Amino acid sequence: MRSSEGQNQGTDVKALLHRLQGPLIRYAFQITGDVERARDVVQDTFLQLCSEHRASLNGHLEPWLYTVCRNRALDVRRKESHMNPLVETTAEPRSDSPDALISMEQRETFQSALKVLETLPARQQEVIRLKFQNELSYKEISLVTGLSVTNVGFLIHAGLKAIRQNMLAQPHANSKVLRRIK
Amino acid sequence: MKIDPNDSRLTAYALGELDETEQGAIEHELLHSEAARQAVEEIRATAEVLKEELRSEPRLQLSEAQRSSIQRKSQPAKSKGLFGPSKVLYAGGALLAAASLLLVIYLNWSGRRSSLENAFDTDRKGRIIGRGSSPGTVVKESPKPVEVVTKQSHPVQQIPVQAPTKGAEVQFDRKRQGAGVGTELIVRNEGVPQPQLQTGQLVQKGLVANSAVTAPMVPPAALRPMSGMGSGTGNAIGMGRVRMQRQLSFMSSPLIQSHESEELNTSGDKEVGRWLQKNRQNFNTEAYDRVVDNPFLRATQNPLSTFSIDVDTAAYANLRRFLVSGALPPKDSVRIEEMVNYFSYSYSAPKNNDPFAAQVEVASAPWKPEHRLVKVGLKGREIAQDKRPPSNLVFLIDVSGSMQPPNKLPLIKRGLPLLVEKLTENDRVAVVVYAGASGLVLPSTTCDHKAKILAALENLEAGGSTNGGSGIQLAYDTAIANFIKGGTNRVILATDGDFNVGVTNQGELTRLIEEKAKSGVFLSVLGFGMGNYKDSTLEKLADKGNGNYAYVDSLQEARKVLVEEMGGTLITIAKDVKIQVEFNPALVGAYRLIGYENRILRAEDFNDDTKDAGEIGAGHTVTALYEVVPAGKEGSLPGVDALKYQKPVEVTRESMSGELLMLKLRYKEPDGTTSKLIQVPVSDRGTTWTQASRDFKFASAVVALGMILRDSPYKGNATLGSVLDLAEAGKGEDKQGYRAEFIELVGAARGLVEGRKVTD
Repeated sequence: MRSSEGQNQGTDVKALLHRLQGPLIRYAFQITGDVERARDVVQDTFLQLCSEHRASLNGHLEPWLYTVCRNRALDVRRKESHMNPLVETTAEPRSDSPDALISMEQRETFQSALKVLETLPARQQEVIRLKFQNELSYKEISLVTGLSVTNVGFLIHAGLKAIRQNMLAQPHANSKVLRRIK
Repeated sequence: MKIDPNDSRLTAYALGELDETEQGAIEHELLHSEAARQAVEEIRATAEVLKEELRSEPRLQLSEAQRSSIQRKSQPAKSKGLFGPSKVLYAGGALLAAASLLLVIYLNWSGRRSSLENAFDTDRKGRIIGRGSSPGTVVKESPKPVEVVTKQSHPVQQIPVQAPTKGAEVQFDRKRQGAGVGTELIVRNEGVPQPQLQTGQLVQKGLVANSAVTAPMVPPAALRPMSGMGSGTGNAIGMGRVRMQRQLSFMSSPLIQSHESEELNTSGDKEVGRWLQKNRQNFNTEAYDRVVDNPFLRATQNPLSTFSIDVDTAAYANLRRFLVSGALPPKDSVRIEEMVNYFSYSYSAPKNNDPFAAQVEVASAPWKPEHRLVKVGLKGREIAQDKRPPSNLVFLIDVSGSMQPPNKLPLIKRGLPLLVEKLTENDRVAVVVYAGASGLVLPSTTCDHKAKILAALENLEAGGSTNGGSGIQLAYDTAIANFIKGGTNRVILATDGDFNVGVTNQGELTRLIEEKAKSGVFLSVLGFGMGNYKDSTLEKLADKGNGNYAYVDSLQEARKVLVEEMGGTLITIAKDVKIQVEFNPALVGAYRLIGYENRILRAEDFNDDTKDAGEIGAGHTVTALYEVVPAGKEGSLPGVDALKYQKPVEVTRESMSGELLMLKLRYKEPDGTTSKLIQVPVSDRGTTWTQASRDFKFASAVVALGMILRDSPYKGNATLGSVLDLAEAGKGEDKQGYRAEFIELVGAARGLVEGRKVTD
């Protein structure tokens, strides 16, 4: 089946690069918070792909790439943030706004789903982006993040709910969600 | 049974993540629940809005130099040149293109709906679109890289927008008006992917075209021949959206899923699994549910506070693990009630036949002396070791690959024998393991064959992935098969909670446990390890399974949970124990329940015997604290306007009794179905905390530490220094040394916080 592997490897990578560089950089950016670092991370990720025995990744390429990308991005973040060694275990840089979703004043200011997304814990944002931006399945997200599939499902469920409630609470004219379902 | 519209399975269903059986089950439920159908629609709509917005984020690219470095490395030394993408990629592309086609049509349809409503999306006008960044598309190599500039209507990401490089395509959708439908028709007719088009682009065009132009609507009937799943009826558009969307999800999900399962069955599966496993250990994947501190509530508006007791102690042991390893714990891992309940307090045992006794102490709050602190203590009846009823235990042990580290399976293998040693010939033990598959390692064996049991434990080895679901099933079946009437029937689950195959849905897993709990078999959950420790899952399992939950990080902790507190862990003396407090507004301005955030019940649930609540074990103590703002001093708290149609609360004569509150308890006997009620009125004698009991001081020290680590807005003037003083004052005899250990931990936390300040 894959006898042409060696020959096609170059093109394979090119196609993958074309298709996935954008989503991968975006993903790494979410972790590193810096576009240039994110680019470096993705370059490293693809370089590692080139030196990997590809047959063993057959069918898992995408989760594999996301996992490598995630690890590298986390490494970068760890190295860059001596100031706050807890950044990873905390995983909740935004917990300062737990009331953001319920305060009436703030409701008005949420125009987009993305803004609501931003108020969620970092981990939840990550999972939601992997699902809706990078279009990975629950199972693949589980492989990449190490969360259980159940947990992934729960995070997505709760996140969508927060976004939904927020958008439904907006005045009709502004609510994209309402417009879609009414 | 009606499905809860908030069930996470509905989300999984709406997103096409369920397998056929589960999907069928949900469809069945949907027939009966309007609310659930509504929820599914809303979830889909939200998902689409979200996807759309995410797509509009600027596309990022590697630099020319970065790309060519990769391409250089990807060329085999003796390259014969570049050929087209491999067959495999093509096949995948075809599948994905087919899937994306469905997406196009769905969006097309919903876009059409918007235009019908005249709700034209103005922010779309003039938006620049280009190649979408959707990863779900495979494209033949494109000679020119594409950069896209979007006008961001929401300044969410501070990403420098790149200027288009040479050869970039920038397209205004105005130019594309009408093109969307045409493109889509071509694709549909040919049934093959158009190599130079990408999903994102298709979708956007479709949307734009349809919202801008009154293009002919794609009738649902047009979908059917393509899907190959046409049913005879339902060609009327008026059949409604739900039906339509359900069809769509039917059509799209099998496609995507078959694609996936094909991939997962390949030979590389195991190798990659191992690889992922190895890499996963490099980063922390612990999961904690968010906890928001209970706020102060005005006694006039919320006179009743109702919650379920909680005897779990896991959060404290977990916190200790963090502090000892030199890190402050994540905020949400700090559950104050579990910290307080880790320690036992010298409450007096019940005198009569009641399963437990209640004691209340009131004094000023050390962190805010103008507030009162009410400590409610329950003490379960002690049962002497020789009076212990016979036990039927099933050890359900996770032996998946993630259990290899020394603080997981090896610790279990040293810890459980401590318990086995204490059992007698009246007791039975079975051992069930689960990983990729689950199995009965040791059938239920009486404890006069201890050597056999110990050998079975000794031989356990870790390896494979985890299917918690079927292991739990088998364990309960074993427990039920050996049920001892009037005895202790219990499954003891030892795991890191990382269920990654099998019953993958938290809702389903908890439902399974809930169902099994009705059989009279109780559950104890022992959490082990770190790294991918799933605190939130485990707590929920124990909660649903009429159980308790402890975190075991050392042999010492195993001894505490399994030997010293064996009675409490194994023998339930009362179940569904609920506490309701009625505050007297004459004396109480406002109050706040400290901790128990995920145990709050509605006031009506108190008298509702079908509502599950916590269990109390033999000899267990349970402690809960309220912080009370005296009447007249609640001024600064947020309240609501005076009501128009009702008079403010009219107080009864009893409010002049000088009582602060009425404590009400409900519980059921372990095998009972109707609850019994205990009521205790409580008065405040105005004690200051310095005059309070040692237990009061110590418990407030624990609460204060919890609030500091949670960075609670209610921590008042509490500092780690004052926590130390309080704990020292409340240490007392401390035979087992747990309180001394707490004091050490406070010191460790202080070191960490000060260390942090220095590096800042």
